[in-house]
Amino acid sequence: MFNEIISEHFMNPRNVGKMSNPDFVIEIGNPICGDTVHMFLQVDSNSIKDVSYLSYGCSTSIATASILSEVVKGKTFNEIASYQKSDVIKWLGELEPAQNHCVDIGYNILSECAKPKQRKLTENNFLVEDGGALT
Amino acid sequence: MNFVETQRQLGITPLNAMIGSINPLFRMPFDTVNKYKGSVIAESFKYHYDNNEFYRDLCLRKEISPNDIQGFTDLHKIPMIPVQTFKQCDSHLLMTSHLKDIEYEMRSTGTSGIPSVSRRDRVSVDNAFESVLMTYREFFRISRGMGLFLFPPTEEMPEMGMVKALNIFAGMLDGSANLVKKITFNPAHAVEKLLSWEGKHTRHIIGPPFLIHRLVKHCIDNEIKLNLEKNSLIITLGGWKQFTGKEIPRKDFNELCSKYLGVQIQNVRDMYGLVEANMLAVECREQEKHVPPWVHLSLRNPRNVLEEVEYGQRGVIAIYDPTCTSYPGFVLTEDVGYLKEDTTCECGRNGQKLVYISRMPGVEVGCCAINLEKFIEEKEKEVVSQGGTNV
Repeated sequence: MFNEIISEHFMNPRNVGKMSNPDFVIEIGNPICGDTVHMFLQVDSNSIKDVSYLSYGCSTSIATASILSEVVKGKTFNEIASYQKSDVIKWLGELEPAQNHCVDIGYNILSECAKPKQRKLTENNFLVEDGGALT
Repeated sequence: MNFVETQRQLGITPLNAMIGSINPLFRMPFDTVNKYKGSVIAESFKYHYDNNEFYRDLCLRKEISPNDIQGFTDLHKIPMIPVQTFKQCDSHLLMTSHLKDIEYEMRSTGTSGIPSVSRRDRVSVDNAFESVLMTYREFFRISRGMGLFLFPPTEEMPEMGMVKALNIFAGMLDGSANLVKKITFNPAHAVEKLLSWEGKHTRHIIGPPFLIHRLVKHCIDNEIKLNLEKNSLIITLGGWKQFTGKEIPRKDFNELCSKYLGVQIQNVRDMYGLVEANMLAVECREQEKHVPPWVHLSLRNPRNVLEEVEYGQRGVIAIYDPTCTSYPGFVLTEDVGYLKEDTTCECGRNGQKLVYISRMPGVEVGCCAINLEKFIEEKEKEVVSQGGTNV
C-alpha cells in the first residue's frame, strides 16, 4: 500500500515534463526493475534555477522524482550536497519493504544534482520488430 | 432475460459467476456466451466511464457513452487504451482507482528498459487470481505432480508479470523447484532435478520458451533423453522471439520436447497474455489458444484501428477484459494475430480462438521473457569474463 505523501505526489506530480534546453541532465535507472528517472536542470553558477523530469516505473519511484524535484529546485549545490539519506527517508514517509529501493533512487538524484556533469541523455538503442507480420 | 440484472438481484456478481463457470461456459453455444460477455463488458465500460475522468473525456471526444454500449454487438465501439500508455510518465491518468487503493503493481520490461506498469486494486487482484487459476484448472487439470519452474522465484522478481502468473502453479502442485536463481540457469541442474523426481511424481516443466529450449539443447548436446510421464505438461508463456531477434520455431520446439523430454506433443501448451490484462489465452490439447468466455478479443485493421477485421484476417489484437477495476481493461496491444473462423474446437470448447503471430512492425521487441533472457546472457558473459565457468 502507498502512504499519503507518495499517493499525493503520484496522483499530482510536480515539475513533470521535458525541458527543451537543459544545462544538465541526470539519468537514474535500475536495469532489473526498469525504474528510470530522467531529470533536466537549468543552473546558474552555484544553484539549480529550474528542474523538470520524466519518470518511468513503479508509483513510488515516480512520486520520488516529484518529491526530489521540489527539494532541489532553487537550492544551491552546497545545500543539496549537505542532505543525507536520512533526509530522503523522511521526505518519502513510511515505505513498504518493496518500495525501499526508492530511497536509493532519491539519494542518487540528490548526489547527481549536487554535482551535475552530463549534458545530454544517453542514446538508447533497442531491438524493434521488423516488418512482415502484417503481410 | 438480462444476464447482469438477474444475477445482481440474486446477490451474485455476474462476472465472478462467469469466471467460476468457465467449464460449462466453454461448452455453451458461442452466441449465448457472447450475450453474457457483452453484458459484463458493457457493465465494466459504464463503471470506468462513471469513475474515470480521463477515460470519460476520451469517450466524450469519441461521442461514446454507456447508452451506446448495451451489449455484445456494441463492444467494438468501446474506446481502447493503447498499451504504450502504461509506459508513459503520466500513466496515473489511466487510473479509475486512487493510488491509496492500489494493492499490487505488475510490470513488464522490454528491450528499451522502460517498464510498462499496471496497477491493481483489491477487486482487480481478486479477479486476476480467480481468472488465471480457473483457466489453469480448465486447461491443465493440475492438482498433483512436481513443477520444474524455469523462471526466477517471485521473491527475486516480485513484480514481473510472467513470473507472477506462472508461480500460481506452485499452489496447485505437490511441489516445485525454481531453476533460475540470481539470474542464472544451469540446465544440468534442471536435468538432475527431473531425474530425482522420476518414478515418484508426474513431472511438469513450466517457463518461457527460450529457457525450455535451452534445457532441450543441453539434452541434445549431451545425448540425454528423458522420459517424462504420460500426463506431463510443458507449459510456456513469453515470446517465441529471442532478444537477438531469432525466433524459436514452434513446430521444431514441439518435436524436440517430444524427442528429448519424452512428452506427448499434445501436452506442449503455450499461453498468450499481457501484463496489462488479467486473462490468459491457453492452448488445449489441439494446441488452439482459447480466449476465456468473459473476455472479448477484437482484431483491428493496423492502418485504421477503429475498424475491426473479420475472423481469419490478420490484425492488431485489442482486448476487452471486464475484470480490471483499477483502470479500463480495454487495451489495444502492439501484437498481431488473427481469430480462427471456426469457433468450435475438437477439444469440445466453443469461443474465440487466437493465433498470435508477432509484435507489430516497428515497435520495441519486448516482454518479460526477452528481458529475462537478456539479463541471463549478460550475467553469463560477466561470469566468463571474470574467469569463471558457465556450467
